[in-house]
Amino acid sequence: MVAVQNSGKPLVKVGVGDTGFVSDFTNDRIAGKLMAMGILPGSAIKVIRRAPFGGGCYIKADNILLALRKDEACTILVR
Amino acid sequence: MHHFGTLTIGARRVEPFVKDPFRVAVIGNPNSGKTSLFNLLTGLQQKVGNFPGVTVERKTGHLIFPGGKSIELTDLPGTYSVYPTSEDERLVVQTLTDARNTDYPDAVLYVADTTRLEKHLLLFTQVKDMGFPMILALNMSDTAHAEGLEINLERLSRKLGVQAVAVSGRTGEGVDQLKQILTDLSRQAQEGIPEQSVYRLSQEEARLATELQDLFPSLTAYQRILLAHHADWLPSLAPSVRTNVLEAIERTGFRDLALQVRETMQRFDYFTPIVQQNVRKTRDRPYTLTERLDNLLTHRVAGPAIFFLLMLLVFQAIFTLASYPMDWIESGISALSAWTKSVLPPGWLAGLIGDGLLAGLGGVLVFIPQIAILFFLIALLEEVGYMARAAFMFDRLMQAFGLNGRSIVALISGGACAIPAIMSARTISNWKERLITILVTPFISCSARIPVYTVLIAFVVPEKTVLGFFTLQGLAFMGLYLLGIAAALLSALVFKWILRSGGTSYLMLELPPYRPPLMRNVWITVWEKVRSFTMEAGKVILVISMVLWVLASYGPPGAMKNAQAQAEQIAREKGLAPQEAGALAASMEMEASFAGKAGKFIEPVIRPLGFDWKIGIALITSFAAREVFVGAMATIYSISDQEDLLLIRQRMALEHDPLTGKKVYDPPTTWALLIFYVFAMQCMSTLAVVRRETLSWKSPQPRNPATSQPRNLATSQPRNLVTP
Repeated sequence: MVAVQNSGKPLVKVGVGDTGFVSDFTNDRIAGKLMAMGILPGSAIKVIRRAPFGGGCYIKADNILLALRKDEACTILVR
Repeated sequence: MHHFGTLTIGARRVEPFVKDPFRVAVIGNPNSGKTSLFNLLTGLQQKVGNFPGVTVERKTGHLIFPGGKSIELTDLPGTYSVYPTSEDERLVVQTLTDARNTDYPDAVLYVADTTRLEKHLLLFTQVKDMGFPMILALNMSDTAHAEGLEINLERLSRKLGVQAVAVSGRTGEGVDQLKQILTDLSRQAQEGIPEQSVYRLSQEEARLATELQDLFPSLTAYQRILLAHHADWLPSLAPSVRTNVLEAIERTGFRDLALQVRETMQRFDYFTPIVQQNVRKTRDRPYTLTERLDNLLTHRVAGPAIFFLLMLLVFQAIFTLASYPMDWIESGISALSAWTKSVLPPGWLAGLIGDGLLAGLGGVLVFIPQIAILFFLIALLEEVGYMARAAFMFDRLMQAFGLNGRSIVALISGGACAIPAIMSARTISNWKERLITILVTPFISCSARIPVYTVLIAFVVPEKTVLGFFTLQGLAFMGLYLLGIAAALLSALVFKWILRSGGTSYLMLELPPYRPPLMRNVWITVWEKVRSFTMEAGKVILVISMVLWVLASYGPPGAMKNAQAQAEQIAREKGLAPQEAGALAASMEMEASFAGKAGKFIEPVIRPLGFDWKIGIALITSFAAREVFVGAMATIYSISDQEDLLLIRQRMALEHDPLTGKKVYDPPTTWALLIFYVFAMQCMSTLAVVRRETLSWKSPQPRNPATSQPRNLATSQPRNLVTP
């Protein structure tokens, strides 16, 4: 892969049931933790559902299930 | 520069040792089944304590082998990497980078979930680069088998440069082999094995590692780099050393965040192909069952509804299931007390043992069933993986109150005991959220309040069943809990406005697949909690009941005689029956005793609530521990009791003012007392933990500029993280 100008859209814009591929992260701290959990550039993320009370989202990346806040999901850019 | 014979840069100098005990740290990612394996290896031979200075639970256990040498296993908190975001994760870095730490291990047992090996090896390679002798336990071999994974163990071991063993914390497969490997490791004289570091340091890092070598000669280059990464918080660094490290960071132009990303990528690049080549998927079987269950259990509407229903069931269970064993314990203690009094010669000893010690002891033991049931259900929910879902569902709501989704775990555990609950707040990374969680958790009615509620509710709420299923008393019980929850949330809201915000807040929570609960883990938790309740609270209660018995049986010289004379006079004047006269005398003597004086002293303050001085005594003593209230009541009433009514509930129900004849525990007083206990100050141990937990923290200071400026990947150089 090569660096591109348009890195994709934030994960929160991905609809429930759809899958995106991580292209970049916009926050280093969150990126550090996500990467340690195994969410790497290129990983496929499927949005499974949104949380009750208008919160974050429940995602599936490879074979792990993860709960993210809305603002955390915003820092993940996917294509 | 330090060179010791065979030592190479990547490896630590290890003296040929035969250490006793041989310390092994158990490390792994969250949900790797680390604790199950630890429980399996050590069984009930565990010691639960705290890591020095912090209240993260520290579990150690021993493996003892023929030949006498023992292996001490320490279960460290689960973490994804050596770049911690919460207090409990920090502990791992703290332990592994401080060679003088008493927990500094001689070897590391690394536990990885075989079914997610491609995620679980990051931390493994990091710990390996720290130079520890390691064993890799490929856990959940049973699930891996069921999912059709085929692992080339031998080649994986060789490629990763570690002895790997397939184990299952569930079925016990491979555990004997693991024990054997641990023994062999502890017996070998360890030599500085030349190790190739997995991570290739960048230029800045290599420079920094060299600069720090004189300060930390016994650490590996990678450990030194980690010290630099975490120099601003590591408590093991003396102030002067910290300054030196920070200066070295300035000089070398070391930037932590970008380097952390670089390191993580490099490590994944290293082990991903190894995993791919040696773990073969024979079929594709993702967590369909988990996902299907979550469709319902984390549903936007049904999810929270199910959660509340579950909680309702939990509290119903505490109230109804526990009543049988409670009756047995109560009558057992009564019989024992009566027997003691019949065997011992009448006098102070019989009184002290029968009315002081045994009455107090009964007050503790009788509540073990309820506490065991509550912890059993909480441990069960945790074990199947439901708690993480609760944290996920309520995160947004909790945030509105200045809390974190993880706070829900603390708040629910607070229903058992505030102390472990406050400790569990250590997984919350944000300072403000953690502080608020700690401050409001004691509002949740803990199990120690169960005794008080149980006794008092029985006076005011009739034993009736509604809707065919719920008992009215159970519902009243639930109501008191809800009152506590409301108090917790409202005060959280107040704290949210008062406290300034501190640092980044995360949810980022892995939702483990639902698994049938491993009952061994549940029982161990129940056993531990019940034991510590009995030992810790029991000790305090025993001492207090005996002291109280003395204080309530003796008074200032002459005062007791005076009271007796006065009672006789009143009895004569009013023409009381002998039995009533006796009760009056006992009550007046109690009033004249030391304890009575103390109760009388605070009576003006509590009188408006409808409390008399006897309740006053119980209130003072229950500061030691909530459940002392009941023990204290038991002691007070056994002394003034004429008819040897041995059940505390009956005694209190019959208690009436000897002069007016009015019942003491009428509905208004009882409700006032109940509500007092919902809101009352915490017990001493809770206050101590809150103090210890909050004293060490200040609101986060601006961190060292060299290490902390939040940087954006967009502005720092590796714009694209995937190397071409």
